[in-house]
Amino acid sequence: MFSLETITNSIQQWLYSTFNPTMALILECAIVMLLVIGLFAVLGLVLVLMERKVAARMQIRLGPNRVGPRGMLQTAADTLKLMMKEGLTPDGADKFLFNLAPFIVMIAAMLIMAPIAFAKGFQIWDINIGVLYVSAVSSVSVIGILMAGWASNNKYSLLGAMRSGAQIVSYELSAGLSIISIVVLAGSLQVSDIIASQQTGWWLFRGHIPALIAFVIFIIAVTAETNRAPFDLAEAESELTAGFHTEYSGMRFALFFLAEYINIFIVCAIGATLFLGGWMPLHIGNWDDFNRIMDYIPSSLWFLGKTFCLIFLIMWFRWTFPRLRVDQLLSLEWKYLLPISMFNLLLITLIAIMGWHF
Amino acid sequence: MDISQVLFYALSAMALGSAIMVVISRNPVHSVLWLIITFFAISGHYILMNAQFLGIVNLIVYAGAIMVLFLFVIMLMNLNAETEPQKNKWLKLAGVVAGGCLLLVLVAALKQAEVKGKVAMLETGDIGLIRNLGKALFTDFVVPFEISSILFLSAMVGAVVIGKK
Amino acid sequence: MLSDFFILMKQELVIMVIIFVLLLLKIGADMSNEKMMNLANGLLLLNLAAGFTGNQPGVLFNEMYVTNPLIVLEKNILNLGTLIISLQSFSWLKKHDHVPEFYVLLLCTLLGMFFMISSGNLILFYIGLELSSIPLATMANFDLAAKRSSEAAMKFIMSSAFASGLLLFGISLLYGATGTLTFSEMTALITGSPLHIFAFVLLLAGFAFKISVVPFHLWTADVYEGAPVAVTSWLSVVSKGSVLFVFVSVLYTVFKPIAGNWYNMLFLLSVVTILIGNLFAIRQNNIKRFLAFSSIAQIGFILVGITGSSQVSSASVVYFVLIYVFSNLAAFGVVALVSAVTGREQVSDYKGFYKTNPVLSWVLTIALFSLAGVPPTAGFFGKFFLLMAGAGKGNYIPITIAALNMILSFYYYLRIVKAVFMDANEQPIERLTIPAYSKLAMFICVAGILITGLAGFVYDYIYALSFGF
Repeated sequence: MFSLETITNSIQQWLYSTFNPTMALILECAIVMLLVIGLFAVLGLVLVLMERKVAARMQIRLGPNRVGPRGMLQTAADTLKLMMKEGLTPDGADKFLFNLAPFIVMIAAMLIMAPIAFAKGFQIWDINIGVLYVSAVSSVSVIGILMAGWASNNKYSLLGAMRSGAQIVSYELSAGLSIISIVVLAGSLQVSDIIASQQTGWWLFRGHIPALIAFVIFIIAVTAETNRAPFDLAEAESELTAGFHTEYSGMRFALFFLAEYINIFIVCAIGATLFLGGWMPLHIGNWDDFNRIMDYIPSSLWFLGKTFCLIFLIMWFRWTFPRLRVDQLLSLEWKYLLPISMFNLLLITLIAIMGWHF
Repeated sequence: MDISQVLFYALSAMALGSAIMVVISRNPVHSVLWLIITFFAISGHYILMNAQFLGIVNLIVYAGAIMVLFLFVIMLMNLNAETEPQKNKWLKLAGVVAGGCLLLVLVAALKQAEVKGKVAMLETGDIGLIRNLGKALFTDFVVPFEISSILFLSAMVGAVVIGKK
Repeated sequence: MLSDFFILMKQELVIMVIIFVLLLLKIGADMSNEKMMNLANGLLLLNLAAGFTGNQPGVLFNEMYVTNPLIVLEKNILNLGTLIISLQSFSWLKKHDHVPEFYVLLLCTLLGMFFMISSGNLILFYIGLELSSIPLATMANFDLAAKRSSEAAMKFIMSSAFASGLLLFGISLLYGATGTLTFSEMTALITGSPLHIFAFVLLLAGFAFKISVVPFHLWTADVYEGAPVAVTSWLSVVSKGSVLFVFVSVLYTVFKPIAGNWYNMLFLLSVVTILIGNLFAIRQNNIKRFLAFSSIAQIGFILVGITGSSQVSSASVVYFVLIYVFSNLAAFGVVALVSAVTGREQVSDYKGFYKTNPVLSWVLTIALFSLAGVPPTAGFFGKFFLLMAGAGKGNYIPITIAALNMILSFYYYLRIVKAVFMDANEQPIERLTIPAYSKLAMFICVAGILITGLAGFVYDYIYALSFGF
């Protein structure tokens, strides 16, 4: 059956038989880097186009439809335009930090790719604390955002960065707690273990209502963490021009823009891994025949399908809910989501200990 | 030198260098950013000792949360190189002499310490793995662990009282 | 095992229960300040009474937690100090918005001290120390409207963080050098190599910060002046007392092998501390700053006693702390009452105090006599035993300096007594009505000052429990 695992294994064997181990390791790293950068480029193009198409659909209009067949090449053209543009650095800016910030945000996004399992056996680094690693590295991107806002020497940028920082730091808590609730159910932080534990069904279905609550909280929290509407106060056009990247132009702006979409992909991939089984096909308990039929669909398709469903969900939010005020944003997190997710974690622990899940 | 030795020296140099930069940077924001790099280097050390959990928690807690709050405060107060108070030259000299003496004593003391046969457990120790760490926390160190929750409670009560005025 | 846990850790558990009762009352019940304080004082009295019964020596959690009759006694002394401070702060707290929080923080600090005293392991010791200093910083800020109070809190948290840093560095070096964190195992492994001594110096610096020994005393006066009086008295009596207890037990057990080294360090520190404390106390005009420097000088005397390292030394330290609780709290009680009602804290404000408030004047005078060490009061016996313990080593230089300084200290203590009784003042402090709780606290203190010294069984009891080498 078609599987990416065989391809990666044969490449690895070939590398180790041709070169000495150090060289092979370096070559592997290079291949992985190229793959990740390639994936980023493709994802950026696809997701931006998808966003515009979805937005158009929601607003009953056509969206991009001139460049290429059905407007497919629109984003490629946009990227070209951004690359041609001059990158300005404002006079009063802290030049070094200003130029560094977009790369930090981007590097943080790239690092998170490491433990994500794209398909069966197709994973860069199966670290034994994979899920924790994800939340650690994702919290680093705040630093890049704060740096960008401060170094621009612009009040809108600074305010946007502050809002974004406050938002990310607070919503990280409930995102983390809902991640932990799945960790408690699966009994491991390792991504491969978590996926393997969903062999007989996804945690979203097996964990009763508490898992469902955790999922909802997770989606809300990550929407806020990626600064997406309805939580897009950090770049609220009507108040702050464009938030922390007001002063950026050209390719550096494109990096921020790209990082935003990559982050959406990543959080949705994590959500899909934790709650929807990652690449694990839809299995239902002991229905062996059904499970076998499901196994015929390649695991990479399962993973991408689930991830894009979640991405669509988040894009749907953007055109459905009005933006929150700052105080509403913070009280939603600290007064509602956090207590609920703590209590929920308690319930899930009880379920896990008593073995009440399916 | 094998790869872990190279990494060890690289990380140590990074940690020390950025720690020095924290102290000598004129701009407070730069100091904080250097401090973040120091934390990254220290996390690297943890990972080198096969304590991935500690390394990552170090990142989450310090680089991800505490340093972000630092940045927040410093950026909101709009501290920059000009607002940094300038110390007297002699005071600086005295500080350097005192610090140098301390370093000298520390180095001398460490040089005479018995380190024979006490090699760091690179990649072999497993106490840093989350399972073992959890067990240690809830058996040997359960009292300090539980008391630290009271410490947090009291810190929270105090913060709320001060914040509410 | 479980019953052991409840019996041995009884004192800590009682405090934890009180903390949570108060916290829940704050959330759930809408009580008036006075009711809340009556309840809190009642609970503290219960806590004090519970400390005297049903104690057993023993260890828990692999020597993490240790208790013996001396430790129980030390905890009871701290409990007593807490109760007295709580009684004294009545007139200040009744106008405050955050009464339950004050008690919660106070008791968290006390809990930290208890764990610190009972610790048989450096980790528990460190956590206890932190728990006893972080809530204190917020308590120093309890005069929420006053800028000085915030400044005091800031200075306190900074210096205590610095001290903790030094201490933690010392602990990590010790752990690196010996490979263990348990006190009893560590003693055997400390050989006096340079690394051990360096680690000890760092630990000593951390301790010295907490008890404000001279080169590390810079925070003391400012924090004492800015913090509310109740917190100042807590800082100077209970907080210092607890650290002293731990200091003695750590020095006499863990660092016994390098006693020769720390003897010299403590000898120097004690001489400097007494001298600087006394000289600066002479120039102070604010009564809280004055008491701060006088407390620094007292710490110097205690260090003289500690250098003796005999059974007499550790007994005299505990004995002196007990006396210090009574005498310093009596002085602070008067200052607290005056400050809460009139807001005046200068030494010159106390001129002619006797004309308007004879009772308070007598209490203040007795307290100051005891602090100075005038014979019939307990303070004399306390200092006498400390100096005797110090003299046990045969090094008479610090003893002579200390004795001379006692005479020097008479000057500034009596200066205040003179101001109270003899100096004329056009605007003396008006006649104050003493609340019942303050009366009770003062009665306990004065009785303690008069009885503890003369009744020999107190010292004998402490001596029987003490240890030395």
